[in-house]
Amino acid sequence: MNFKYIFILLTIFVIMSFGMPKHLQKRVDKEVKNIFKTETFTLNSVVFIPETVNQLPATFHDNNWFHIIDNDSLLGFAYIGKAKSKADDFDYLVMFDTNLIILKSKVLIYREDYGGEIGSKRWLKQFIGKTYTDNFKYGENIAAISGATISVRAMTNAINNVLASIKILHEKDLL
Amino acid sequence: MAILVSGFGFSQTISQDSTATKNQQQNAAQNILSGNISKGVTVGGYAEVDYNQPEGVNGKMDVHRLVMLLGYKFNDRVQFITEIEYEHVKEVFIEQAFLNYSLNDNLNIRGGLMLVPMGIVNEYHEPTTFNGVERPNVDKSIVPTTWREIGIGVSGKFNEANLRYQAYIFNGFASVIDTKVLGGSNGLRNGRQKGAESTVNTPNFSAKLDYYGIQGLRLGLSGYFGRTQAADDVQDIDGADIGISMYGLDARYINRRFSARGQYIQAILSDVADYNSLNSASLGSELKGWYVEAAYNVLPVSREQKLDAFVRFEKYDTHAATKDAGITRNLGYNRNEWTTGLSYHVALGAVVKADYQFLDNAIDGNNTKGQLNIGFGVWF
Repeated sequence: MNFKYIFILLTIFVIMSFGMPKHLQKRVDKEVKNIFKTETFTLNSVVFIPETVNQLPATFHDNNWFHIIDNDSLLGFAYIGKAKSKADDFDYLVMFDTNLIILKSKVLIYREDYGGEIGSKRWLKQFIGKTYTDNFKYGENIAAISGATISVRAMTNAINNVLASIKILHEKDLL
Repeated sequence: MAILVSGFGFSQTISQDSTATKNQQQNAAQNILSGNISKGVTVGGYAEVDYNQPEGVNGKMDVHRLVMLLGYKFNDRVQFITEIEYEHVKEVFIEQAFLNYSLNDNLNIRGGLMLVPMGIVNEYHEPTTFNGVERPNVDKSIVPTTWREIGIGVSGKFNEANLRYQAYIFNGFASVIDTKVLGGSNGLRNGRQKGAESTVNTPNFSAKLDYYGIQGLRLGLSGYFGRTQAADDVQDIDGADIGISMYGLDARYINRRFSARGQYIQAILSDVADYNSLNSASLGSELKGWYVEAAYNVLPVSREQKLDAFVRFEKYDTHAATKDAGITRNLGYNRNEWTTGLSYHVALGAVVKADYQFLDNAIDGNNTKGQLNIGFGVWF
């Protein structure tokens, strides 16, 4: 085994438990099924050593980064995160193919009345096809939504942070 | 990598609440002290401080609105939201106070004191969300913002269709409040009961649809139907109440540095002639108003700060029809106004505004004067 694989072994822990709330998990499962056209996948939560995690702009704890596995082969990745809207948190999902290109992003749970328009399928399409070398700028390459400025900025920043984190992980040969 | 992780199975564990003190009760103060409060409580607010200087007369400086927002989330489904408002420093109102029960993404049930969804500004009235020191006058004389009454209804979103809907049964305007009657310059504005020991005898229906499926554009369609509320001793007399059908169409557009909005509101009122003769009022049988506004941010969009230069044209008439109202039309109520100025967003949520309003009406040779407005607004 070469040095690279020893390094990966030391750096990655695969968490066996899956502590996502049930209603959140149901929605994630549904999205994965739709995008990867499979009924038999498993989601493996992957964490990295704290030194690595601390360098990442997005949160990468127990239940944030998942490998989507079907029949022993890797179909893609999923990131599940939380971001702040005006007065509450919302949960979102970003799915990637094995080349780390965004296949879909989705607002899983939006809790307040203000700003829920970021759940719009039409608006979220803007992130599809982008990867860790891309950067989104509110109002430039990401359209604003009247009445949802705060949430649009929050979601844009959240996705930027996820992509920046993936870039770091990729540069470290961890992805 | 794939091989490395694929050997591991997938299992689910239910997290256990390990708090030993689960059954202990805490009062509000203890809640704050123990830090638990931050979990469910939302604190926020908005404020507008204005200086209005009409031509030729003394100006006015006013802490126009100071509103504290408090919310408490009991769990992911049940939430209470209230806004406590100080107007002109000395008047206290409750702007909203409702309980929301969220069944799923598509359906919320809510009841209490809520905003009537009509046009843009009644719902989105925080000073950082509109241009101009003062709200548009259509949103004062035609839509009597901040228009709120007690009621019950449903709201929700359909993300696939890019639609938001709201539908409520509300208490209506009062026909008369003390000695204040409907009519004249401000239409229905005097009739707002604001949830303060409000009289109710007939329910009113209100609904709005918002469509945001076209990039940068948001469209709204509102409707409000019902009758005003009369007191017991007069409710059977002709003219004790009037019928209201109000329609609204609004649009907001934003693309990089350019933004624009517009709205059209029409209210058809019935049984107005009897109302006017019973109450010596001068309410028109139709209220109508619209405005269009365009703004351009002169700073680069990459900056957090934003400096919008805007111009707005408004046309509104509280005597749009008077034939069925038994009164003479007052052309002074047929107004048109240009407002132009700057909104300098010094931070997200803080804006300094200055504008000038050119006021005019349909009376030939009327001597309406302009007005300079300067102020700031915050929303957090």
